[in-house]
Amino acid sequence: MPSQLSFTGFACKNLWRRRLRTLLTLVGIGMAIGAFVALVGFSRSFEHEWERLYSSSGTDIAVVDKNFMNTSVDQTLQTKLRAVPVVSMAEPMVFNIMDVTPEVNALVFGWLDDSYEFSSLTFDSGERFHNGKPEIILGQMLAKSLGKKVGETVQLQGTTYTVTGVFQGGTALEAGAIIMPLDQMQVLTSQQGKVSGFHVRLKPAPAGESAEHYMKRAQAEIEAALPGLNAQAAADRAANNQFVGLAHAVAWGTSCIALLMGILGIANTMAMSVFERTREIGILRAIGWKAWRVLLLIQVEASVLGFVGGLIGVFFGWGALELLSKLPQTASVVSTSLSWEHLLEALGISILSGLIAGAYPAWRGAHLSPVEALRHD
Amino acid sequence: MTSPQLEVRDLRKSYDDGRIEALRGVSLQISAGEYLAISGASGSGKSTLLHLLGGLDIATSGEVLYEGSKLGTTVNLDEYRANRVGFIFQAFYLLPTLSALENVQVPMLAILGDSSSRASRAEALLRELGMGHRLGQYPNELSAGERQRVAIARALANNPTILLADEPTGNLDSVNSARIMEILTGIQEKRGMTLIIVTHENDIANAAPRHIRIRDGRVDG
Repeated sequence: MPSQLSFTGFACKNLWRRRLRTLLTLVGIGMAIGAFVALVGFSRSFEHEWERLYSSSGTDIAVVDKNFMNTSVDQTLQTKLRAVPVVSMAEPMVFNIMDVTPEVNALVFGWLDDSYEFSSLTFDSGERFHNGKPEIILGQMLAKSLGKKVGETVQLQGTTYTVTGVFQGGTALEAGAIIMPLDQMQVLTSQQGKVSGFHVRLKPAPAGESAEHYMKRAQAEIEAALPGLNAQAAADRAANNQFVGLAHAVAWGTSCIALLMGILGIANTMAMSVFERTREIGILRAIGWKAWRVLLLIQVEASVLGFVGGLIGVFFGWGALELLSKLPQTASVVSTSLSWEHLLEALGISILSGLIAGAYPAWRGAHLSPVEALRHD
Repeated sequence: MTSPQLEVRDLRKSYDDGRIEALRGVSLQISAGEYLAISGASGSGKSTLLHLLGGLDIATSGEVLYEGSKLGTTVNLDEYRANRVGFIFQAFYLLPTLSALENVQVPMLAILGDSSSRASRAEALLRELGMGHRLGQYPNELSAGERQRVAIARALANNPTILLADEPTGNLDSVNSARIMEILTGIQEKRGMTLIIVTHENDIANAAPRHIRIRDGRVDG
């Protein structure tokens, strides 16, 4: 069987003739896509963990003041909230982020010691804290990175707390978190009588009412009972909170800069390649290749660079997430699971980057006069 | 009387805003299946004329007609180059990253067809030209004569009706020159193709049934 030449094969051979330049370009676009995979993966993982934080404890609605991340609501409203007919349970909570050591930050939650949210935790050792006492429980990932066990103490903002339990959390956020009695947290944050909000578990939806309709009705009833407060569906609260928004913005912003660098790398490679192959393009035009076919050839070469660079980038990005998931500073908010959608998105962006980068060199190559191109030295 | 396959009417080509006149009103008729040699000194305009006949360049004024239709207007130049003419160059212009067999397939990528039939046709052409044992060699592994044979096979890839050769023996020794000319005239006779050769070698020009000389951009006998 004679050796067959395909259009794509021809494009790949053109790329391979300058191996070092092609490989360096691939590394460049790979780094850019790797940054995208890691950063956007990180921010999505962060959002996903927030969603799981609510869903694992069975929280349906978060009641907060307006839609700030860390709001301040009067704790006494709990009684009114529990009286709303659709509400099964309503728990006050306070949360914040604190430096536990100079290297390690942790989410710190204040709960009542009988909160339904304990149902999502499994204790590796020890037990719950007690209201009114300077006690805390640690997520197992945080306990490991701090090297703390039940009975030992932890200093937070100058106050000493005794570790009463180490738990497995339902999410990476909980696994790296501290939970303490609500009253202790209020003292620590100078928010006596105030809470960040209430987590609400609804009664089961009546037969015949859709979950979506029931959620909307519950939100309306709660907001009617507590004028001025906002009842947000837990999933919306997770997706739209300011931490997640900030993480998404930083991830996309940084990724866009990296992608721009990658696009410039491919554009430079393709422009050099077209310039070096001016006479060859003239030959192709002389033997009957139409301008659009020359344009397509150069765009296929740029797309192949983008696609292969994207594959390398996915590998880089996955490696970066693996690394982040093992660092104590970031382990609590990073999951290494990458969705197929995210990988396909990364590959799509890498191919699109190639097409954008190849557009001008392709246009230039396609519009060369055949006879001028043949004369090119 | 049958109409000519190619007709050139008062063809002019100038460069550098008219300061350089490569062709100064050339008129010519070429019949289908004809073997024509165009000779002239370096810079006389013979290669420019060949480029215009092959649709590689556009005239400043005048026209080239293919079977009565004007090139560049009625006849699309890309289609014309892809399907009607085959080019052979002095410097061969093979693509260095492709084997002999792959080089011959390149023009066929410009038209429809499956890759297997393209490869089979390329192989058949190379075998016809005595290159069956060098199919997988790259241009830098071939002698000058072998490269030109690959270039001839490439020119024939899309089964053109006109073969245009620009100094096809310019880079060859006398033995290979004779061999290449033998191949070209053999192809012309066997396939009934029109063969137009630009050359500065008198013996090659004089061997053609029809020979025109270009001097200072004009036909000079």
